[in-house]
Amino acid sequence: MNHQNISLFIDDELTLDEKIEFVEEIHGSIPLKDEAVELLRQEKILRSDPVKRISEKVLKVTPLRVLRFLRPIGLAATVAAAAVLIFFFFPFAPQKTPETPYRFVFYRPDVSRVEITGSFTGWNAVPMRRVGDSGYWEHTFNLPQGEYRFAYLLNSDERLPDPTIQTREGDDFGSENSVLSIGGRAT
Amino acid sequence: MSDYGLFYRNWKSKIFNYLVRMTGDGILAGDIMQETFTRHLGHYGEANRDIPLLYRIARNCFMDEMRRRKKQGEVTETAGPEPSIDQDHRLMIRSEYRCVLSAMAALEENERELLSLAAGGDLSYSEMAALLCISEANVKVKVHRARLKLRKLLKEGDR
Repeated sequence: MNHQNISLFIDDELTLDEKIEFVEEIHGSIPLKDEAVELLRQEKILRSDPVKRISEKVLKVTPLRVLRFLRPIGLAATVAAAAVLIFFFFPFAPQKTPETPYRFVFYRPDVSRVEITGSFTGWNAVPMRRVGDSGYWEHTFNLPQGEYRFAYLLNSDERLPDPTIQTREGDDFGSENSVLSIGGRAT
Repeated sequence: MSDYGLFYRNWKSKIFNYLVRMTGDGILAGDIMQETFTRHLGHYGEANRDIPLLYRIARNCFMDEMRRRKKQGEVTETAGPEPSIDQDHRLMIRSEYRCVLSAMAALEENERELLSLAAGGDLSYSEMAALLCISEANVKVKVHRARLKLRKLLKEGDR
């Protein structure tokens, strides 16, 4: 038997007659049957949903998430204190973190206004630009490598995380934010 | 919800999963998926429902992103994902899926691509052949070889 038929069977590329023939053949050969079952099991994993939401419980045990509780006032104070320290200790060597343009795109043709709010806007609402009549809204920010949280505001009223980003976490006010990592590892 | 909104909802997971298999990175896959639908809508309009075309656009977006990263020195010679998935992404990739993605990353690029498309279950072998510019007979041979190679890599990983 042509072993390729196992893949043709998995991918539904056999006719019904060929499937009957295939099943009869593997019924008479244990090694062939074992190979078919192994490849079917492997395919089952490969075809399963690869991602899961991060639960709040998991996030809270991650040390990085401590920063969440500092925002927005605490974070501003921390940044200011860090800036003062850097100024005193490294006054002649300012290090600028490289930034990458990151385009946020959101599809909602049925609303008249979309804003974005996140850790990179100081949680201020920044209006997004409507892209013609496409129903898309966009805004580009220059962001250094790191991990960010954000959400969209529809008609200055409804708050939604980004539907295309699977990673989310709840904030302290009962809403959900998308978690975005730019560059390699989160900072 | 508009017709295109429904189309997007129905297909975003399929395209996202295909891109996760290609990149091994959920966040990058989400970005490329977003770009795929933006290009699809921008170039072909709201009425287009050509699924092989949607996969073609996703593949082109993936290749553009890999070229961009290669140019910026973010990836090495092979355009594929890193063999190991970093800690942040481990949080979101299902545990049973991690070893499969690592094994996928160890495949040749064309093997990974064939298995990623086949696992989507949305394209026939003839549609895959057209997308990858190879013969259908070649797809039959290569898909099975890639599956056997993936099984070997997974078994080696278990040891």
